[in-house]
Amino acid sequence: MAKTPKNKVVDMHSAPHNEEAPDYSDIHPFAVPFLFLGRKSVIENFIWLPLIGMFIMIILGVVYPPYHPAPWDVIPGSWAIIGYVAYTIIVLSARPLFSLLARSEDYYGEGGLPDPEYSTEHAEGSHD
Amino acid sequence: MIDVLQINPGLWMIFAGMVCALVPKGEAFAHIRKAFVIMVPIFAAFMIFQINSGQEVLAGKIELGGLSLTTLRIDSLSLVWGYLFCLISVLNGIYGFHEKCRITDSSALIYAGAAIAGVFAGDLLTLFLFWELTAISSVFLIWKGGERAYGAGIRYLAIHVLSGVILLAGAAIYGQSTGGDYSFNYIGVENPGGILILIAIGIKCGFPLMHMWMQDAYPKASITGTVILSAFTTKMAIYALARGYVGTDILIYIGAIMTCFPVFFAVIENDMRRVLAYSLNNQLGFMVCGIGIGTEMALNGVVGQVFVHVIFKSLLFMSMGAVLYRVGTTKASELGGLFRSMPITAVFCLIGAGSIAAFPLMAAFVTKSMIISSVVYAAEAQGSLWVIVGMLLFASAGVMEHSGIKVPYFTFFSHDSGRRVKEAPWNMLVAMGLASLLCIVVAFPFGGYQMLYDMMPYVVDYHPYTVDHVVFQFQLLFAAITSFCVLKRFGIYPAEKRAEILDADWSYRRLGMTIVSWISAMWTRLASGVKGLRAKLLDNLGQRLYQIFSPAGAMSDAAPSGLSALLTAGMLVLTLIIMYVVM
Amino acid sequence: MDILSYFPAWLLAHGAALVIVLPLLAAAITAIIPSRSLAWWISLGVMLTALVTSFGIVAQMIAEGSKIYPMGGWAPPHGISLAVDALNAPILLLISAMAVLTVIYAKPASIAEVEPKKQAPFYAAFMLCFAGLMGMVVTGDAFNVFVFLEVSSISTYALVAMGAARDRRALAASYNYLVLGSIGATFFVIGLGFLYMETGTLNMADMGRILSELEGGSRVSTVAFAFIAIGLGLKLAMFPLHAWLPGAYAYAPTMVTVFLASTATKAALYLLLRFGFTVFDPSWDYVGTILTYLVVGLGVFGMIFASLQAIFQTDARRTLAFSSVAQVGYMLLGIGLVSAAGLAAGYLHLINHAIIKGGLFLALGAFWYRFGITRIADFSGLSKTMPWTMGAFTVFALSLIGVPFTAGFVSKVNLATAVADKGWWWAVGVIVVSSVLAIIYMGRILLLAYFGDVPQVDGKPAAKNEAPLMMLAPMWILAALSIVIGVNADLVVETAERAASLLLGKGA
Repeated sequence: MAKTPKNKVVDMHSAPHNEEAPDYSDIHPFAVPFLFLGRKSVIENFIWLPLIGMFIMIILGVVYPPYHPAPWDVIPGSWAIIGYVAYTIIVLSARPLFSLLARSEDYYGEGGLPDPEYSTEHAEGSHD
Repeated sequence: MIDVLQINPGLWMIFAGMVCALVPKGEAFAHIRKAFVIMVPIFAAFMIFQINSGQEVLAGKIELGGLSLTTLRIDSLSLVWGYLFCLISVLNGIYGFHEKCRITDSSALIYAGAAIAGVFAGDLLTLFLFWELTAISSVFLIWKGGERAYGAGIRYLAIHVLSGVILLAGAAIYGQSTGGDYSFNYIGVENPGGILILIAIGIKCGFPLMHMWMQDAYPKASITGTVILSAFTTKMAIYALARGYVGTDILIYIGAIMTCFPVFFAVIENDMRRVLAYSLNNQLGFMVCGIGIGTEMALNGVVGQVFVHVIFKSLLFMSMGAVLYRVGTTKASELGGLFRSMPITAVFCLIGAGSIAAFPLMAAFVTKSMIISSVVYAAEAQGSLWVIVGMLLFASAGVMEHSGIKVPYFTFFSHDSGRRVKEAPWNMLVAMGLASLLCIVVAFPFGGYQMLYDMMPYVVDYHPYTVDHVVFQFQLLFAAITSFCVLKRFGIYPAEKRAEILDADWSYRRLGMTIVSWISAMWTRLASGVKGLRAKLLDNLGQRLYQIFSPAGAMSDAAPSGLSALLTAGMLVLTLIIMYVVM
Repeated sequence: MDILSYFPAWLLAHGAALVIVLPLLAAAITAIIPSRSLAWWISLGVMLTALVTSFGIVAQMIAEGSKIYPMGGWAPPHGISLAVDALNAPILLLISAMAVLTVIYAKPASIAEVEPKKQAPFYAAFMLCFAGLMGMVVTGDAFNVFVFLEVSSISTYALVAMGAARDRRALAASYNYLVLGSIGATFFVIGLGFLYMETGTLNMADMGRILSELEGGSRVSTVAFAFIAIGLGLKLAMFPLHAWLPGAYAYAPTMVTVFLASTATKAALYLLLRFGFTVFDPSWDYVGTILTYLVVGLGVFGMIFASLQAIFQTDARRTLAFSSVAQVGYMLLGIGLVSAAGLAAGYLHLINHAIIKGGLFLALGAFWYRFGITRIADFSGLSKTMPWTMGAFTVFALSLIGVPFTAGFVSKVNLATAVADKGWWWAVGVIVVSSVLAIIYMGRILLLAYFGDVPQVDGKPAAKNEAPLMMLAPMWILAALSIVIGVNADLVVETAERAASLLLGKGA
């Protein structure tokens, strides 16, 4: 099982990307209409969606205040601030935590995850 | 004639699992086993339905050596767990339909059956029995993960058997203080036995610093194994907590810490199934906290949360299992862009992610806001609890981080890893589809969440879809997503890197091992040193003592006699000294 | 229901003497018999008679209460007497039952483990040892206790030494045992001497009466108690006086180990109970202190340290030997509580442990008999090559750990309850920790046997090679007994409670 390559790895650099005649042969048919999600411009402009949503909700929050306000709910958009700050703190803590806690994958001598039987490390084709 | 309604429904599944273990190997027989795996939980649910009368049912009483055991107790609390475990067993059975593995089939049935039977246990001793059985039967699911899972399986087994032993010790002490009454009702921490039982439960439901077995073992189990494991053990522990420790204050704080600390581990973890294991830990924190609050509303929230949690957590593990099955890895650093080849799985995963992050109209929204609201109400009476509310909100943002964004984003979107694989097998898609459907149905504003309410132990008077709930939840979620986009845009979001992340299990996998090997090296040196010393003693005092005390009186270099003779004399002196002091 | 009516009257009247005299006489005859199988048949006959007699004695004790048999018509305290009561009658039954099972087992085992020309002397020594143990349990005279103690000990040294046919280290172990055993006996007899000085009598009942009239007596009896306690402590392998035990258990022939493990230390423990509670009285300061601090303290230490040592052994027999030391700790803990529940729990564990440990050694002997293995590393795959033996071994191992529905569970629960009654929660913790250690040292054997690979012989996995029926039968009788006690322990618990109430002077 480990020997047979279960998946096909497309070499992104050498495969010709012809914009005029796109090749959908290796794309799942359901996914074809959604390929725009992979486009650079979509990814870059996605931010507007949550941003606008957030502002609408902050305004609505001022109009409809909570029935059971917390001490911090005097500030308009308090939950948005909590969400934003909390999220940022979590992500920013990742780098120091990683340097503190990360070790090489064979640190315990049991090998990393997952099982070699399933792992692509032993399948043909590199994916670095 | 035994009345079948006296039999704990879990036993039917345990029995079926044992039959499965005896069904021979081979393609044709595999279908028989699969029929068992899917049909027997339905039968068990039917039996629960037959036994349930709307009142508390106590049955299956056995007298054993002076102890009276109540092996079956169905009431409004245990009933929810019973049905839930049956439901999820069916989904798991469908999910694992492609896998022709006798061990997985039989241990899945026994494990689920033991969990059901444990939930329906009416006394602590019956609970102990099934508590241990869940551990012993489930370890095979971990070992099916292959060679690398062996050590994790042993550690898992050791920790869980320990939990069982502590439970038994606690039960013995507790039963002593109640005058031989072992029935499993409110226990509390006033009794030393109660504290032991709480520790035993704490191990199973991943209290901080007792949690590491979960992140150690779950990601190493087999594909179906992880899905099955994630559903039962911890939820059974939550049940035990809800039964015995409602309103125990310390649980509020333990729960709040439990919601927060896994967030930090999840953000740096590379293996998606391990991320989900941390996420599981964090979700359990919400439940523990709700139990600590202990109001009717909080308990309703916990029961509802358990119900939906099992479904969406299984859904997430299933989607990652499907990825593992097709791609061969679930490491974030190796994945990306998979929506092109597994779009259906991607949609199901997104539904699961939305559910766990508590988007309105999705599963956890109703129940999680119930728990948080109950903490808010409690905080209005006791100001210090606002800290807990803050922690829970922080953790909610954390859930959004690891389960809501990280898991689907790095697997299905992000940069294209170039992997082109087949969509998941049909049976996995069916299982995930059913779970997704349930996630949406139980949160549907018109007649959906009311079904959930019907199951809750107390009368519910709570409206989740008020404007302020929806608005403020959206504020939190949108702000989190905005933050993600900003961090990503400016390249601050750290790239996923392959690594082993240390957790508390380092204390025994590394530190403990080092200490043990150091001690054994020292022991060897000490032994040789003692040998030399012993020889000296033989030459001097030892031999003289021989001549005094031994009728044989012979001198010999037969090793430890000299030392022992000395010891004997020493003991006598000690005894006389003690006596002298007393008299 | 009158069981007594099935026993002839003379047997009941002279039973207590018969169980000592018969094996002594038979031993003398057997020693000069050249035929191996005749020697075996004689031993079996003697042991069976003793078993039936012991059964009668127990039945009579239950029906009629304690009884004193004057020897040669001289009434105590002047004549020598035998005394049967609720404390020693069950132990008589235990010893003779184990002896019967051991003799059955010895038929195949001794052929493998004892030199051919030493076989008849082996049975003779075995019967001497048996007579000594029975004598020291049943006698009512303190000096007789010493004599029988020596009879059993000296024959045991010989028996252990016969293991040399299998492993030369048996000689060193036997010598070691001899030295330490003699020290113990010497201490004991010194203690008796002091006691005689104080009371002027050797009859134990009389001693007890006189001492209580003196309200504990002077410093002489204090010293006497110290000597007796330490002497017996050595005999019953109280930690840290257990150094003789692992070697003796590991290298003696299997049936000797089985018999020693299940009876010899138990008889010594009985003597500690007899002296500590009926001759002396725990309500006197010095006795109470020693029991509460020294006996409990050492018992608890033994439970932990001996278990740890058991974990680090490579030889399965030594593992079990250290485990025995740990288990003695449980009994000592129960005794040291000086409460009815504690004594009953200790006594219960005494019986249960005899069954469990005897069974474990029986199984180990069978492994050696078929494959010549004692090292734990060689146990790999034994569940496939010797499924029935391994099955029995598993039952005993679970019982030793204290899994529910086994005898070990019953005694541990009783002990934990007794300890909790006294409010010693820390000791409950010690019991738990020691049980976890037991899981480790037994578990690693079981893991290897069940999950290890069957060893290769000439490139093929070793064939199934089950132990002979005469080995399996005693093993499974004990295994069944262990489960029966685990499911319904009423009978044994009652026995233990009767003994406990006797010790505390509440019952007959």
